Amino acid sequence: MTFRSTIRTKCCMLLLFALFFAAAPRLFASDWGAVLDASRGTTVNFYGWGGDPNVNAWLDTFVAPRLKERYGIALNRVGMGIGEVLNKLLSEKAAGKTDGVIDVVWINGENFFAARRNDLLFGPFTQALPNFREFVDAAAGDVAFDFGFPTEGYESPYGKAQLVFFRDTERLKEAPGGHEELLEAAKKHPGTITYPAPPDFTGSAFVRTVVCDIVGREALASLPADKEALRKAVAPAMEFLVALKPYLWMRGESYPASSSQIKNMFADGEILLGMSYTPFLAPGRVAAGEFPESTESFVFENGTVGNTHFLAIPFNASNASGAMVVINEILTPEAQASKYDPAVWGDLPVLEYARLSSEERALFESVDTGKGAVPLDFMLRRRVPELPANFIPILDEIWRETVLK
Amino acid sequence: MKSALRAYLLLTPALLVLGALFLGGFAPSFLQSFGYFPAVGMTEPTLSFYREVFGGREFLPSLLFSLRIAFLSSAGAVVFGALLALLLLRTGRGEKIEGALAAIPVIVPHTVAVLLVLNLLARTGLLARLLFASGFISSPDGMPSLVFDRGGLGVIAVYLWKGIPFAAAVVYVVLRNMNTRLWESATVLGASRFQAFRYVVLPLLLPSLSSTFVLLFGFSFGAFEAPFLIGPTFPRALPVAAYSAYIHPDPTFRPYSMVMVVVITFIAMLLVYLYSFFLAGEERAS
Amino acid sequence: MKTHSPFAPLLLFAFLTLLLLPVLVLLIWSVARSWPWPSLLPAAYSAAEWKSLFSASSRLVPVLLQSVLLAGGVTLLSLAASVPAAKALGLLSFPGKSVVEMLVLAPVIVPPLSYAPGMHLLFLRLGIADSFAGVLLAHLVPCLPYGIRILTNVFRALGDRLEMQARVLGASPAQAFLHVTLPLIAPGMASAGGLLFIVSLSQYLLTFFLGGGRIVTLSMVLLPLVKDGERAAAAVWSTLFIAVSLLFCLLMERAAKRCASSRDTFFLS
Repeated sequence: MTFRSTIRTKCCMLLLFALFFAAAPRLFASDWGAVLDASRGTTVNFYGWGGDPNVNAWLDTFVAPRLKERYGIALNRVGMGIGEVLNKLLSEKAAGKTDGVIDVVWINGENFFAARRNDLLFGPFTQALPNFREFVDAAAGDVAFDFGFPTEGYESPYGKAQLVFFRDTERLKEAPGGHEELLEAAKKHPGTITYPAPPDFTGSAFVRTVVCDIVGREALASLPADKEALRKAVAPAMEFLVALKPYLWMRGESYPASSSQIKNMFADGEILLGMSYTPFLAPGRVAAGEFPESTESFVFENGTVGNTHFLAIPFNASNASGAMVVINEILTPEAQASKYDPAVWGDLPVLEYARLSSEERALFESVDTGKGAVPLDFMLRRRVPELPANFIPILDEIWRETVLK
Repeated sequence: MKSALRAYLLLTPALLVLGALFLGGFAPSFLQSFGYFPAVGMTEPTLSFYREVFGGREFLPSLLFSLRIAFLSSAGAVVFGALLALLLLRTGRGEKIEGALAAIPVIVPHTVAVLLVLNLLARTGLLARLLFASGFISSPDGMPSLVFDRGGLGVIAVYLWKGIPFAAAVVYVVLRNMNTRLWESATVLGASRFQAFRYVVLPLLLPSLSSTFVLLFGFSFGAFEAPFLIGPTFPRALPVAAYSAYIHPDPTFRPYSMVMVVVITFIAMLLVYLYSFFLAGEERAS
Repeated sequence: MKTHSPFAPLLLFAFLTLLLLPVLVLLIWSVARSWPWPSLLPAAYSAAEWKSLFSASSRLVPVLLQSVLLAGGVTLLSLAASVPAAKALGLLSFPGKSVVEMLVLAPVIVPPLSYAPGMHLLFLRLGIADSFAGVLLAHLVPCLPYGIRILTNVFRALGDRLEMQARVLGASPAQAFLHVTLPLIAPGMASAGGLLFIVSLSQYLLTFFLGGGRIVTLSMVLLPLVKDGERAAAAVWSTLFIAVSLLFCLLMERAAKRCASSRDTFFLS
């Protein structure tokens, strides 16, 4: 083939692709009617972490009735950790089961990476969702990429999270702005600070925040997912965490198993500083009377890690159309605004502000983020994007080997 | 011969379930521990997973931890359970109220028992608050760590809470059916109460005590919920480590979990053998 | 062996307090809203958790129904399989008996973790994974040993003389079983039934692995609540769990007493 004809071929292909994608929304739009019809009156099984009663309540009392009313869909929420969900899908794939019980799965990060690598997901489907096309910027860094790995339309954004600390201002007078100040605070109040042990999601995020604070994200992002290379790169951070140990709760010999324990320990006054991946957890609990009124949230000066969490559909979902309708509904401004309210959940919205009408924007502006919360734009400016997905288990292991011992 | 056929006919439903589901459920785990997992493309049997697990830094501490808490909690349960049974017998009203109350822990599941122990023994639990109120400690720091600690005290407390009433029930039945004449003759012939207990009662109790000890030991060695909910971060009890390895997102990691499962099963089967040995002794004694 | 010293009842009282105080604390937690350090009693009470238990979103009725139907079904099936097995083990001698005895005993000590993953693979191939029937079958494994053990002792104490006499007098095997044996082992069956119900109700790993989240029992609701430190909610569901177990045990005990009082031919053999 001559050079000219190669160019011609490539131009033709590009033209075809462009035509296809221009037509695609209309194709998908006409398909959407079919999807809605297929899902009417069906049950959708929604699997995800059930450890936060606020999240469960939002799904049960806001999303489920809304789906029932608008589409006749019965949402069946099942609380199951993502590790167990993936394990189940793996076993089902190995056994050739094509009619799985899971329709929607709440997923992100290294779990999405593992799911894609093992071909456990249905898709790509996001372009088929009207609300996704309308309100979400598909090219945005935290939508197109999940922990550095391309999403390619296999998962739809659900909400955004960022690691946020909270402290009892009555007893811990100053907010530690970084790791050195954290060590100072721990020395001044020994036994009152701790973090959940990785591989708990929040504990893992804390370790990564410390790593980014000391070593910097850029230094790590370019490394290969090799344990020895990472070990060398994060050594200063691990040294810091080891130095922190003696001043921690239980002298750093045992760590709470989950962020929920941190929440209880803080409520009981056992620890003075807590953390959560739900940015507005603390104001919500203050409003519920569980946390003391003097609670205030804060982030590190160098930022804390943040990410987007997503919803996906398993490869063998029995009700993929119902799943798509559910996921589409969660992308409506009303749903995103209702869960943004700290009294309900406090999860950040994933919709592109510029694409909202003024009435839709008002929904978000009217939300009171609560007492002692970190202002949203302040938080977003101090937001460090998460490290690549395949780093996470490796870093967790390094922590276990170096710090926990 | 005819009775053998008849026996096996009667045993068919039970053997079907136990054979197909129990043995049939263990077989894939056994095969996977040798790296035989064709569904994910692992068809070469190998001992490498065994070598890696046994040589890893977490296996031995986990195994020792599980053995330790099983031993301490079962021994404690048997001793204190016998004591409780004796007390119930001596106060003479054991049948009715006290007996029923003492049996409540038996119907409470492990998950709830964990919650109970947490409420009581945590750093800010009821015990700590009582100690604070009576001036023994001045803040939660002063409270020694009894849950999530490396010694597994919280887990032991859960097993004790469940095990003592169970052991008491077993011992109570044996004591009640024991011929009191033996005790009376011993004391009439000049033995002190202690001697009568040591040389008359104890030997008759020993088979039940041994079998109960082995049963509790075996059960708490392989149990998952208590160490999962209230155990230390390190070392993890062996069943917890096995479960953690099982839900790893990479399916080729499954054999690591199965190695641990096989070890647990092997030790448990040894204990089953021991238990049946003591049971036979118990039957001979009665 | 009765004694009049005050020491024993005091010690007994202390013992029982230690055993039951935690349950009382649990009941208090179910109505506590805020119970910070160092108060000995909650600072604020609230019936919110109980209200939310009875609200629609807690799915109390389906969970309760599934739990009771599952445990009840397991109890019935276990008893049905246990009675013939116990008769064989209690009254007959046959080659391989000690092996069978060990197999029957094994699931009491060998944890569900040993066989649940493999069972899941098996059920996937049979198409009964994530189903009620599958979980029912799975629960039989830990329950059968208890049923067989208790009933074996009953059969051993009973002997086969009475049933043989009935056969000699012309009764068919079925008649002998129904009218002679069954009434005599009924009390034992009732006690075993109570225990079997509790063993099934308490299962977590088996229901989790084989039910895949579709079968939600009280244990399935409870464990995540305890793990995630939702103390008030966990306290409420725990109270419910204990109440259901107690109720069933009391029912079984009444049934056992009724069977026992109507027959006193037990000691004739």
